[in-house]
Amino acid sequence: MLNIKDLQVSIEDKQILKGINLDIKPGEVHAIMGPNGSGKSTLANVLAGREEYEVTGGSVTFEGEDLLELEVDERARAGIFLAFQYPVEIPGVSTSNFLKSTVNAVRLERGQEELNAAQMLKYIREKLDMVGMDPKFLKRSLNEGFSGGEKKRNEMLQMALLEPKLAVLDETDSGLDIDALRIVADAVNKLRSENRSFVIVTHYQRLLNYIVPDYVHVLYNGRIVKSGDKSLSLQLEEKGYDWIKEEVAAIEG
Amino acid sequence: MTTITQDRFAEAKAQFQQLFEKDVQQLNGQAEQPLHQLRLQAIQRLPDLNFPTRRDEDFKYTNFNRALNLSYQQGANVMIDSANIDAYRLNDIAPIQLVFINGEWNAALSKMDKLPEGLTITSIAEALQNDAYKAWIEAQYNKETEGNAAFTALNLAFAKDGVFVHVNKGVVIESSIQLLHLAIVDDQAMVISPQLFVQAETSAQVSFIETHDAAKGHQGAYLSNGIARFALDANAHVSHYRIQNDSQEAFKLTNIDIVQERDSVFRGYTIDLGGRIVRNNLGAEQTGVGADTNMFGVYLGKGDQHIDNQSFMDHASAHCTSNELYKGILTDKARGVFNGKVMVRKDAQKINAFQQNSSLVLSKTAIMDTKPQLEIYADDVRCSHGATIGQLDEDSVFYLRSRGLNDAAARALLQHAFILEVLENIDSEDLQDHIEGLIKAKFAE
Ligand SMILES: Nc1ncnc2c1ncn2[C@@H]1O[C@H](COP(=O)(O)OP(=O)(O)OP(=O)(O)O)[C@@H](O)[C@H]1O
Ligand SMILES: [Mg+2]
Repeated sequence: MLNIKDLQVSIEDKQILKGINLDIKPGEVHAIMGPNGSGKSTLANVLAGREEYEVTGGSVTFEGEDLLELEVDERARAGIFLAFQYPVEIPGVSTSNFLKSTVNAVRLERGQEELNAAQMLKYIREKLDMVGMDPKFLKRSLNEGFSGGEKKRNEMLQMALLEPKLAVLDETDSGLDIDALRIVADAVNKLRSENRSFVIVTHYQRLLNYIVPDYVHVLYNGRIVKSGDKSLSLQLEEKGYDWIKEEVAAIEG
Repeated sequence: MTTITQDRFAEAKAQFQQLFEKDVQQLNGQAEQPLHQLRLQAIQRLPDLNFPTRRDEDFKYTNFNRALNLSYQQGANVMIDSANIDAYRLNDIAPIQLVFINGEWNAALSKMDKLPEGLTITSIAEALQNDAYKAWIEAQYNKETEGNAAFTALNLAFAKDGVFVHVNKGVVIESSIQLLHLAIVDDQAMVISPQLFVQAETSAQVSFIETHDAAKGHQGAYLSNGIARFALDANAHVSHYRIQNDSQEAFKLTNIDIVQERDSVFRGYTIDLGGRIVRNNLGAEQTGVGADTNMFGVYLGKGDQHIDNQSFMDHASAHCTSNELYKGILTDKARGVFNGKVMVRKDAQKINAFQQNSSLVLSKTAIMDTKPQLEIYADDVRCSHGATIGQLDEDSVFYLRSRGLNDAAARALLQHAFILEVLENIDSEDLQDHIEGLIKAKFAE
């Protein structure tokens, strides 16, 4: 589904990703962990199509197509979804209008019919239930004045509505209390299917207790320096990152 | 030694003089009527008045006198298909409709049978025959209009179909009155002179919606030089909407003056979508304590459009409030100007005045000039003002696009959100929807 080969990315002439390799098959859940500033959000944003990041080398293919050739909105309509670490507040854009237009934009691209008002309402209500969000949020401006947890839930709501093929969650769990965290995890688990894949960026094992990943990768200093199964995250939880940094130092001499 | 001062506007004035004389020849016996006498006095003032130039501080950014270079002819007969008018009627919002084609009041197309009790709508010519209204109307003709005297005199000289509205004490007009102005102008430039004089007695309430459009397929040049005068008695409530969607070749000048007695409330809305050079002068004077004035404006400039809003808020009494919010979006080579003057006179204590102007400038060649101007002579007042000029927030664009909206849709949504802050102040939801629709259409052009 997603194939990243030797991906190198710079911002303002500073190299941040120094050769990432990652292969994600349909239905897989990959967790990416790593110290602050190691490049996790950069990777997530490059996949979503943010233009400030300059790809200086390597390739990314999504379902056989060159992903880097696509504009951000083309990627979204093709089935890539990024749940932002810091969702932006947009005063004056009503959440419900926004959701309606995105759902229909994505449906049109997939050759599905647009939903009419009644169908849309039903569909949105269903997904609101799924992420435990109060319908009153629909009337408010997008993310404006939402608490941290409410913003993250709103991201999950959008994910549920847009039914992506590949969802990238950038620290969706950070700052959530355990109830909110369970809701996020439930949403992901309900959406897990054999042809939908997830990349979960997190600092905490806590989330991975609920969303059990197939693979865990450690991103450090712009490279994936270690990969393993779910036991790797438990090891990190226990020992921190120092032993990994030492291993890297030993190899690099 | 003698100095010969040359009037640089001599040619333009001569043209207007000739136009006026031609017009008078067609009057057939109306020349003795009081209206004609007032019109005559107005044209006689013209030689001594100066049109504004860019050396005038208030016209620094706006060269309106390009309108004087056109060669005008009046009274061309136009074919009107009533079906074509229907597209501009706001039937659900304003059942009372006054229709003006190129400034001429068309009774057959207007809808004003069954006016509510206590509401008078008549031509100014007719109102002048009534002693109850005559003195006030004459005073409007003789009012000194600083800075705009030449164009005001032109309006007063040329307007034959001015509208006079009077609302009796305590009468509340629930539905709005539409003044539907349609320009049907092709190759031959015209002078159009809309005029609206309104008197609202104590505790009366009334709402006007002026629509200014150019008929589809008729995109000729014209000068639309309008004035409106409002006199609000104690506790009167008057709303005035102007939705301006004139031809891209139109020169549009509007002078609006409001005088407010105690506890009266005025709400003015200026929506500028069309026109080539647009200039609005909006002035409100609070002569009574506790008056409240609201001025809302939206301007959308594309291509070569130039839209200039001047407001003058004159707090002449204590315990009054004013609220001004103007927002606009400029792209291509469009230019916007906002100059908001707020005056608080010496004894006008406990004033609360708010003013905000914000613009989005979306291209490198678009320009916005904004200037708040506060003159405060009282010491116990609260005045706040702010002006911002910016671009769309690219992080927001990215967020919306990352959910599948294309670039144009994402930007349109954000622009709409920006303007919404003003539109939310519209009292009627239907009218707000209507205006939002016009704005969307303009974004989509
Ligand atoms: N827009 C930017 N301009 C300049 N530097 C940036 C920008 N975005 C990221 N960086 C830098 O790139 C590096 C990687 O940042 P990134 O946000 O990808 O890290 P992260 O792994 O997501 O960290 P965290 O765990 O704190 O979220 C950091 O050194 C950061 O300062
Ligand atoms: Mg990050």
